[in-house]
Parts: sequence; structure tokens; C-alpha cells
Amino acid sequence: MIGLKGTLNVIDNSGALLVECVNVLKQKVNNGWGGVGDEIVCVVKRARPVSPAAQASSTAVKVRKGDVRRAVIVRTKKAVRRPDGRMIRFDDNAAVLLNNKRDMLGTRIGGVVSADLRMKGWGKIVSIAPKVI
Amino acid sequence: MKVEIDNFSQFRIYPSKGRLFVRGDSKVFRFSTSKNESLFLQRKNPRKISWTVPYRRLHRKGITEEIAKKRSRKTVKHQRGIVGADMASILAKRNQTSQARVAQRTAAIQKAKSEKKEKESKKTKAPRAPTTAPKVSKQAKGGKGR
Repeated sequence: MIGLKGTLNVIDNSGALLVECVNVLKQKVNNGWGGVGDEIVCVVKRARPVSPAAQASSTAVKVRKGDVRRAVIVRTKKAVRRPDGRMIRFDDNAAVLLNNKRDMLGTRIGGVVSADLRMKGWGKIVSIAPKVI
Repeated sequence: MKVEIDNFSQFRIYPSKGRLFVRGDSKVFRFSTSKNESLFLQRKNPRKISWTVPYRRLHRKGITEEIAKKRSRKTVKHQRGIVGADMASILAKRNQTSQARVAQRTAAIQKAKSEKKEKESKKTKAPRAPTTAPKVSKQAKGGKGR
């Protein structure tokens, strides 16, 4: 349940560390709560320092503090229900940054992601993730 | 259908029951009830909580029935002969009456005594020859040595 002002850890290597949710992009509702597999608009609150060498040659897009980007939620502390009846919850809220065309910004993911992503159509992220629960 | 076990109390978790918690280090914990979950997150030790299975195992509660069943087994000893003495000779020795043993002993003693006497008589005859011989040689040697 990520809503306005909700903070999430970023678990890819795009350079951001912490993002804050600004808007939850759902079809019917503009506000409301985002769960696993929902796209959100977020502001980068904390980012890894970008060295000047990396600035010049940027094969991977590096994100800076204050950027407004899109992201998809991959882990929530709020429990999610699986079709077999299980409830699964993680220890934190986490997201992976995207660009406007729903492509990932980073190239690697570090950490667990929820398997509910696959059901919502984020198969690419699931395939890159080291562990899916 | 797989029945999981609770990570705190080791109860059985049937499908659609309980919760699954993924910790920050990607370790998965299953809880059958919120009671288990709460105690786990308070970092209680299940070995000290008396209704959990780890505690019962540690304090060996409710196990006496299992042990009682198992005690009915008893190993039966079989008599076997050894390489040096087969079964028949072992039995014969064991079943000897004390009288027979005494008779054996006295017979053995008699035998030993007679043998000893023979030996002594032989000895008294035999060493006389060798004792005279060295005397002669010594005298001879002594004469030469001067």
C-alpha cells in the first residue's frame, strides 16, 4: 500500500537509493494505494554520487537527486494474497525505476522481488531478478 | 499440496493458512498464526516458550509413549563354539561334576610328581660327568699358565 509520500528503496543499479511516491498510476483512480506491480511516479530523494568520469560516458542512465521518474513497486510490507490463499509480505517497500515506456533504467536487480509481478505483466523484471518469491 | 511447518513453533501449516514473511536478507519464514509471528518478531526463543514443539522436544515431554513401545525388543543370546573349542567340548567342560574335576586335578598332580622324580634322578646321574671334566681341564690349564 504505497501512496503519496510513501518511500521506497530502489533495488536496481540506476543510481537512486530512495524514492518518494508522488502519484499512483492506475487506470480508474489517480490517487489511492499502489501495491506490487503497480506503476508510480516518484521523486528521487537520495541517489548514489555520480562521478565525473561516469557523467561523460553514460552507457547506463544515471539518476540524480530530485529527478522525477517512474517506477514499479516490487516489494511491499503490506501482505499480498496469492491465488492459493497464502499471504506474503516483505520486510520493506522496494521499487525498480522505469522510463516512460515501461523499460527498466538499470540493468541489474539486487534482492528479492515478488512473484506477483509476473501476473501483472512485468516478466522482464522477474527474469532479471536474482530471487523471486 | 504441501503442508509447511511453522518457523517458530513447528506446527503444521495447511494451504491458505498463515503468513509468509520475507526478511531483508531474503530468508523466508512461515507462520501459522499471528501469535507465532508476533513472538518471532519480538525475537523470543521458541525453546523457552512452553507450548512450542522445540520446547517439548528439549524437555522431552510426551515422548514416554514412544519409548515404552520400543522396549519390548530383547536380544536373544546364542551359544556358539569358538575356533579352538567346538560346542561339544565346551559343554563337556561345563557339565563336568566337581568330583570329576577333583579327580582330574589329583591325577595331574600325581603325574607331575612322578615326572619330577624322573627328572631329578636323571639330573643326579648326568651332571657328574660334566663336573669332573672341567676340573681336569682347569688343573691342566693352571699348570701351563705358570
